[in-house]
Amino acid sequence: MSDVVERTLTALPSLLSSDPSPGRPSSTSKLGTLIRGITELTSKHDEEKLIQRELVSIKEQVSSPNTTMRQMKELMVRAVYCEMLGYEASFSYIHAIKLAQQGTALDKRVGYLAVSLFLNESHELLLLLVNTVLKDLQSTNLIEVCMALTVVGQVFPKDMIPAILPMVEEKLNHPKEIIRRKAVLALYKFYLIAPNQVQHIHSKFRKALCDKDPGVMSASLHIYLEMVTEKPESYKDLVVSFVTILKQVVGGKLPIDFNYHSVPAPWLQIQLLRILSLLGKNDRSTSEMMYEVLDESLRRAEMNHNITYAILFECVKTIYTIHPKAELLEKAAKCIGNFVLSPKINLKYLGLKALTYVVQQDANLALQHQMTIIECLDHADLIIKRETLELLFRITNGQNVKVIVEKLLEFLRHSKDDYVTIDLGGKVTELAEKYPSEMISNSLWCMNE
Amino acid sequence: MRFMLLFSRQGKLRLQKWYVPLGDQEKRRLGRELVQTILGRKAKMCSFLEWRDLKVVYKRYASLYFCCAIEEQDNELITLEVIHRYVELLDKYFGSVCELDIIFNFEKAYFILDEFLLGGEAQETSKKSVLKAIEQADQLQENIDFQMRLFPGVLVPNMASESSGLFQN
Repeated sequence: MSDVVERTLTALPSLLSSDPSPGRPSSTSKLGTLIRGITELTSKHDEEKLIQRELVSIKEQVSSPNTTMRQMKELMVRAVYCEMLGYEASFSYIHAIKLAQQGTALDKRVGYLAVSLFLNESHELLLLLVNTVLKDLQSTNLIEVCMALTVVGQVFPKDMIPAILPMVEEKLNHPKEIIRRKAVLALYKFYLIAPNQVQHIHSKFRKALCDKDPGVMSASLHIYLEMVTEKPESYKDLVVSFVTILKQVVGGKLPIDFNYHSVPAPWLQIQLLRILSLLGKNDRSTSEMMYEVLDESLRRAEMNHNITYAILFECVKTIYTIHPKAELLEKAAKCIGNFVLSPKINLKYLGLKALTYVVQQDANLALQHQMTIIECLDHADLIIKRETLELLFRITNGQNVKVIVEKLLEFLRHSKDDYVTIDLGGKVTELAEKYPSEMISNSLWCMNE
Repeated sequence: MRFMLLFSRQGKLRLQKWYVPLGDQEKRRLGRELVQTILGRKAKMCSFLEWRDLKVVYKRYASLYFCCAIEEQDNELITLEVIHRYVELLDKYFGSVCELDIIFNFEKAYFILDEFLLGGEAQETSKKSVLKAIEQADQLQENIDFQMRLFPGVLVPNMASESSGLFQN
């Protein structure tokens, strides 16, 4: 008993005069010194010399058996920094894995972070990480489980998926929602890299969709978007659920901290809109189920914030993709009009993009705004110009093809970007093939370019 | 999302997160060229860029450029909001964040980014949950440090989260 008291007493002075909390490394740390050293130098050559010296010193220290985990963490942070600046520090990869294995809490976290930044999925060293991840997934410390799931969701070798799949599946039923959420996203990652491995657990995804925590539910939507993109027919029965969820979100039934600037869960809304557009395409009965909720979303997204414009844009896209309905189309057309006429440059760009998308279905809309389109042709911003040209390309017909091709060629002449030149050049040749008679004089120009 | 880059006005990279597997040389080259292209744009220009075969969304906050490359079918405006949300999270965590905070504590910036975006998709739309997860990890670290200072030389205790009072809702 007295021995415990003695130890406590000896430790007290250092506790009372403790240094600032370890969570915030002060700028006197070694990383701080390195960074300041770099900013003071003026030439690239000096910077290279400094970094090489730093890397040599890091290399020595990581290979020494006396380095503690805490020091190793510091070394890893510096190695990550050097790699970020473009210098190679591959000797540190194996130590990052060791750090993730042997460290605890913050050290382990930095180890995992370093691994996810250094390595990519096809790297051989990643196989060494699998055991560590397996161990951490079974830990009683929930934070370690979270760290393991985070790294699984980011960089994990495809061939080892079967080894880890049952454990991740088990986490889907965990009482804590943060773990369920991360497990869903890890499975999403598996679905992206190896879809046949996760075929058998589709029923579990349905359970995640109905989860009472909105975070888990929205994570499952990522998977559903992928699956619906591939095979919309198999998920038609879920349309009712998606519509209900969207109704609830738009009606503000989610807990208030999902609001983003007083708009309820915008990312969730957009995911749902995308899924619904895929399900309603070319399918009248399914589309009919969605009209009400689309109308509601359009109405609610009337405020003047970037995020509501994002939702409006997605709504408009959905309305034009699914089986058409007159009133909705009208409202959507009005929206696009507002975008194109807006003085905000980002919205103009999106308005033009939307017009390009809908012009196949409704050519009149483009005609309505032709004055604005012509203005945009001479806009200072090249991106807007390019987008306008894309739009014009779509609405070419026998009468205006000459004018349009002239504009395209003019743009080509001034463009310095190879990629753009190839793209537009291709378009011009396409038009030349479609309208040969009007194009003869212009095609001579084409040959010259 | 394909990748996210943060860089200063002089073109110095502050943070990079890649969600697609690319070789190191490739990443460096891509990053450099994209940075140059964006730095060459003027203030009033569009925040969206079609560069090579990528869609790029960028925004400048004080002296730092936040730049994301997204997939073909992704919505550009929502990506702008993803950037904004990330800045809000950083601001809340560091308390009035400035570029120096991100430079000197870049691993924390990465942790926050990982809680918010997993595998390139926004995983948690509730600001409170993201920050709470980070705070609890910090708290765990502080608890361990405290115990280590009280009993130097004792192997690090394995803290079951229930006993340390974490994850209380």
